[in-house]
Amino acid sequence: MSHSAMMPPSFFNTCGAAGWDEAYDAAGQVRPLYQQAVNHFEALGLAGAENMQHSADLSMLNQGVTFTVYSDARGTEKIFPFDLMPRIISASEWSVIEAGVAQRMIALNLFLDDIYHEQKILKDGIVPCSQVMMSTLFCREMSGLHTPGNIHVQIGGIDLIRNESGAFHVLEDNLRCPSGVSYVVENRWVMGRIQPKLLNHYKVRPVDHYPQMLFNSLASLSKSDNPTVAVLTPGTFNSAYFEHSFLANQMGAELVEGSDLLVDRNILYMKTTRGLKRVDVLYLRVDTEFLDPLVFRPDSMLGVAGLMNAYRAGNVALANAPGNGVADDKALYAYTPDIIRYYLNEEPILPVIPTHLGSRESDLRYILDHMAELVIKPTDASGGYGMLVGSHASRQELSDFRKRVAANPSHYIAQPIQQLSTHPTLVEQDGCKAFFPRHVDLRPFAVCDVHGDVKVLPGGLTRVALRQGSLVVNSSQGGGSKDTWVLYPQQTESDHA
Amino acid sequence: MLSRIARNIYELGQQIERAENIARILDVNRRMSLEQSYFSELDVWSPMLAITRSRAQFDAAFDTVTEQHVMDFLISDISNPYSIRACLSHAREMARTIRERISEEMWLCLNKMYQDIQQHGKTENHDEFLIEIRQFCSAFHGLVDNTMSHGESWNFLRLGVALERARMTTRILEIKYYLLLPDNEEVGRPLDHHQWQALLRSVSGYEAYRRQFKARIDPFRVLRLLNLDPSFPRSVHYSIRQVADALKGIGTMNEEQYVLLQETEYFLDDLRGGAAEDEMMRLQLKTYLDTVQQRCEVIGAMINRTFFNSVTVTLTEFNRDHLSVQIPQQQQ
Repeated sequence: MSHSAMMPPSFFNTCGAAGWDEAYDAAGQVRPLYQQAVNHFEALGLAGAENMQHSADLSMLNQGVTFTVYSDARGTEKIFPFDLMPRIISASEWSVIEAGVAQRMIALNLFLDDIYHEQKILKDGIVPCSQVMMSTLFCREMSGLHTPGNIHVQIGGIDLIRNESGAFHVLEDNLRCPSGVSYVVENRWVMGRIQPKLLNHYKVRPVDHYPQMLFNSLASLSKSDNPTVAVLTPGTFNSAYFEHSFLANQMGAELVEGSDLLVDRNILYMKTTRGLKRVDVLYLRVDTEFLDPLVFRPDSMLGVAGLMNAYRAGNVALANAPGNGVADDKALYAYTPDIIRYYLNEEPILPVIPTHLGSRESDLRYILDHMAELVIKPTDASGGYGMLVGSHASRQELSDFRKRVAANPSHYIAQPIQQLSTHPTLVEQDGCKAFFPRHVDLRPFAVCDVHGDVKVLPGGLTRVALRQGSLVVNSSQGGGSKDTWVLYPQQTESDHA
Repeated sequence: MLSRIARNIYELGQQIERAENIARILDVNRRMSLEQSYFSELDVWSPMLAITRSRAQFDAAFDTVTEQHVMDFLISDISNPYSIRACLSHAREMARTIRERISEEMWLCLNKMYQDIQQHGKTENHDEFLIEIRQFCSAFHGLVDNTMSHGESWNFLRLGVALERARMTTRILEIKYYLLLPDNEEVGRPLDHHQWQALLRSVSGYEAYRRQFKARIDPFRVLRLLNLDPSFPRSVHYSIRQVADALKGIGTMNEEQYVLLQETEYFLDDLRGGAAEDEMMRLQLKTYLDTVQQRCEVIGAMINRTFFNSVTVTLTEFNRDHLSVQIPQQQQ
């Protein structure tokens, strides 16, 4: 390319950076926070970086840090592409994220407990009744069921993006089985091995205590002093199996499949070589509809017959509680600022993106008229499946999608296309391998114990869209990940000074 | 330990051992077929299908029994559960579910062998590959003993290895039966001599035999070595003692597990005390091998039932009587 010949030979190329780049300001100057990291990689050079990348990839493959791609018939295991350059977040920025995530967790827990009991928020007309009661994700079996501490979301992952304004916005909440936290821990482990000096220079807050955080939160759900905790996985063919086995292993909990469990007289047991052993807390990594064939899908082979009865009898704690989907639905998202104001009497700390609901007559007209400027998503899908980015779609795709939305409007929402911030990422572009700007998001993880105390892991999964210009960061759609460094306070202030 | 996990560890050991024995049997047959002057009149490949109990499946896929076909079928045919590739793929799948219970080295060793076997094509020279398989299995066993803690998991693993080894050693002895037909008229002919020698080599028993009995190959002594020798690591006696030791290590938590241990001890007593030797003398080779295999199957079935495959639950009738019943689990 001609521009690379004219520009001074740099390992970092800022051409194509978004309105907000994490490492470079609008004038193309390195942000103070990133100066050390940029210098480090400039000194390393391409050969050094490629060596490092190779050793990181090999380490991931040998460790079996892999995920399974569903579209691949053989269920091939692939490593989640890992980018060498860390995403760095200052202590002051993090304090906003931390408070905002905790606020959402608290409010959404109150919301879930309310809609499964008194439904005050519906009676007060803050959220329309139809939005909750007609949702396929509303779980009638949870009505009137008292969860330990009235907590429904023990583990949450809140997807954030930073748009051109530089402010973090909430993109969506994941309150069912948020995945990716094992990569947060593994990425840091690999980073510590391949770039110890840089890691040490930055005084990064650790993330490897997550399994302990999770265990404490899960154990708090049981009245027993020494509860038996198990992780329920759909099995080795699930895309997140690595994570299930990682978390079970790190927590010292048993990793179980549905066939390992049985319910006898409303008590949950696992089948061991020494007979039955009681399970007190079950961390669910299986979708609600597959949990109990007696209550939900009768053809499910992944669940345990009688589990919901045992849960209702208070003999086992489930985390996350079934039925949380109604609160992380993409349409409900539009109401979350009001939900926070309603229960907490506070303003939302993290803003949401303006959302047009297909279920509203006026919004629908707007969506159909402005498709090319919008991202349109089905309300109940995740993983980037079935969504349309208007600006990237062909005329044919737009017209096909318009028909789909018009046929089932309440199934869709639309948002103005967000210019996700970019971050230097080691990729090949136009035959040249260097750091190019690529779009990133951030998924911080939070756990909540039985007393409602929320802890946010200082770090998170930074996902990066490896294709040039792509805004879709999901691992199932060709995304990669970065280690996310949240810094200790004192060091950041001095860096900014 | 979860029953499923225990079964997966047990099957890991079983599949590795099975792969090794298939490699050993194929290797010895290669040698026999190379010496065409002695063996030209013999079909050495059909017995392979008989002892792996896969004749019907083979016939469905191939018209004729040739070396090439049998080698392909028993090395790389993934649809044949007795192919080396199927055994190692199964072993790796089991290992994947129990990563935290086996050592890192064991996983890396198995994973590398698995990647290698995926790349081994049909037309390639099998000899070196068979040697690689045997070396891999030995390396794997070394890692099992040296890098894994000798607790419950280790005991289930060696339980799977030992029982499969006892079974496969008797299967290897069957080769002799299938090659020579039931009567032992040809004993002492050069052909016979070479076959026994090849058979001994296939179980790495040639040196052990020579040290004990000198050069002359006496069929009865070979049978004694492979069945009754207490210190030869591939003999039935040695393997069954390993089974008993593993069961003791795991411990007996209920009556059925106790009965299983008893059954194994009786078997061991017979091998040790001479009852087995009497039978070996009295019965024809095939009949004797059948009885040994049957005892192995009984023990295998009991292990399956008592450790992996049954649970006790409560049946409630009219909310009054609580009855504990044992039910078999669903096999997946």
